[in-house]
Amino acid sequence: MRFRKLSLEQKNRYYGIYFILPWLIGFLFLFLVPLIASFRYSLSNLQVTNEGFTLNHIGWSNYREALLSHESYLRTLTGSLLNIGVNTPLIVIFSLFFAVLLNQKFRGRILARAIFFLPVILASGIIASIESGDLMQSVVSNASETTGGGLAIMDNLELTVMLVESGMSVTFVEYLTGAVSRIYEIISQSGVQILIFLAGLQSISPSLYEAAKIEGSTGYEAFWKITFPMISPLILTNLVYTIIDSFIRDETSRMIVDTAFQSFDFGLSAAMAWMYFAVIAIVLWVTTAIVSRKVFYQD
Amino acid sequence: MKLTLRLGKRLNRSWQVDAMLMLLLGVFGAFMAIPLIYVINNAFKPLDELFIFPPKLFVRNPTFENFGDLLQVMKGSWVPFSRYIFNTFFITAAGTAGHILLASAAAYPLAKHKFRGHKVLFTIIVLSLMFSPHVTAIPNYMIMSSIGWIDSYKALIIPAFAFPLGLYLMKQFMEQIPDALLEAAKIDGASEYRIFWQIVMPLVKPAWLTLLILMMQMLWGADGGSFIYSEQLKTMHFAMGQIIQGGIARAGAGAAVAVVVMIVPIVTFLLSQSSVIQTMASSGMKD
Repeated sequence: MRFRKLSLEQKNRYYGIYFILPWLIGFLFLFLVPLIASFRYSLSNLQVTNEGFTLNHIGWSNYREALLSHESYLRTLTGSLLNIGVNTPLIVIFSLFFAVLLNQKFRGRILARAIFFLPVILASGIIASIESGDLMQSVVSNASETTGGGLAIMDNLELTVMLVESGMSVTFVEYLTGAVSRIYEIISQSGVQILIFLAGLQSISPSLYEAAKIEGSTGYEAFWKITFPMISPLILTNLVYTIIDSFIRDETSRMIVDTAFQSFDFGLSAAMAWMYFAVIAIVLWVTTAIVSRKVFYQD
Repeated sequence: MKLTLRLGKRLNRSWQVDAMLMLLLGVFGAFMAIPLIYVINNAFKPLDELFIFPPKLFVRNPTFENFGDLLQVMKGSWVPFSRYIFNTFFITAAGTAGHILLASAAAYPLAKHKFRGHKVLFTIIVLSLMFSPHVTAIPNYMIMSSIGWIDSYKALIIPAFAFPLGLYLMKQFMEQIPDALLEAAKIDGASEYRIFWQIVMPLVKPAWLTLLILMMQMLWGADGGSFIYSEQLKTMHFAMGQIIQGGIARAGAGAAVAVVVMIVPIVTFLLSQSSVIQTMASSGMKD
């Protein structure tokens, strides 16, 4: 294909669309359409009948119900927000710190990296059993009790549970579990972030460090003057990822899922999800607006 | 100046600080490794040890009984067990490869071409990242059903192509490639395809290897429950889940399952991370 008569800008545009098209088609059909459908559900009363389901348009009353008369939606939502506010900066700082450590040369560092990625691998067992798979079955078979089992042994992996079970004194454990569960929560949620930072650290050109070394810079200076600015776009990426990730796996999300698949109130669940979505969007927008001003792009 | 130099030296070179950092790494590493050690030890525990309360971390009388039990259960399955394994491998490989390919291809113009509307498109992508997959579960099923993809591999593989996460990651990484590099290639007469394959993709190798780990990990754990009904098409994860649900009688086999299911993601991780290191030198650019 040739674009002889086109300006550079037009050429760019056509090539851009050309490259993006396969993904876009998939995205539109498999993601955007369900999204819009879910918005429609949130404005309706969805009733399952013999021949599928019927939608009755009832306006905003699902939203009103979630906000004004649901017993715990608002409380859970604010709880989630607070939790994310505390955890997100900690996770990002923690994962950057460990990514830098794990990027150094030492024996067995691949093994060390694998260990820090473990929580992600271990978690997939539980998540897989919670996620889409079992949900639809529970609708079809009208929630037979057995499906909840999943990979039950994985649940016992929670370190706090193990500590309590191994018979330490109760007051000590209570104090410890409070602190430990947060630390553990933070570490176990930073597997992907560490990996992203590592990839970022590896794309920094070694010649920059070489030059800095020749000029007599110290490791400390090299970190703040080279590593930090070069990795700053990924700090933004990881902030966004962490916020989204913690939103998806927290209490409110669980409540949304339970509303849909245990009390079968799909309309209310969709309404909850959309409000939740709006809140995340605002949080993300504010975060990105603040952080992206500090981000450095090499040009 | 001298002060910072000394400070820097202390932070950089002294072995005490190095040792401290390594210790920190070791402590946290041990912290993270405990669940893994627990799972592996569980797999080798004889039945009576599995039910000790409080649970013991290490096994006393290691045995391969559990793996034997697992094999026995696998042999007795209705569909040959190798079929489940093939299903999982096929879905994982096809989904991961397709996702990386499409996501990188789409990320390239978003990061480097700045055509009109790219900002709107990117905003939509970030917004869609935020939406919990549970919410779209029902509409997703309706679409699959209306295009007749229910009960086929497609229902699991094709949606994996369109996940926004990979696109987002790739775009962020590609943005860091200096424009000068691409311009130089263009001036030398390289086509867009060639720039994409020979310059952009090698430069972001750490990024797509990361994506490979993430996607592979996700698809490996897929059980396909809502989309797949025929026994021949079900995944290994699903079959393993069935084994575990055998309850107390299958506790031993269940413990073995946990180890078997974990092996492949861990091996992929180790392999891809070790090849990241090899690319390090070549991904350095001379500006």
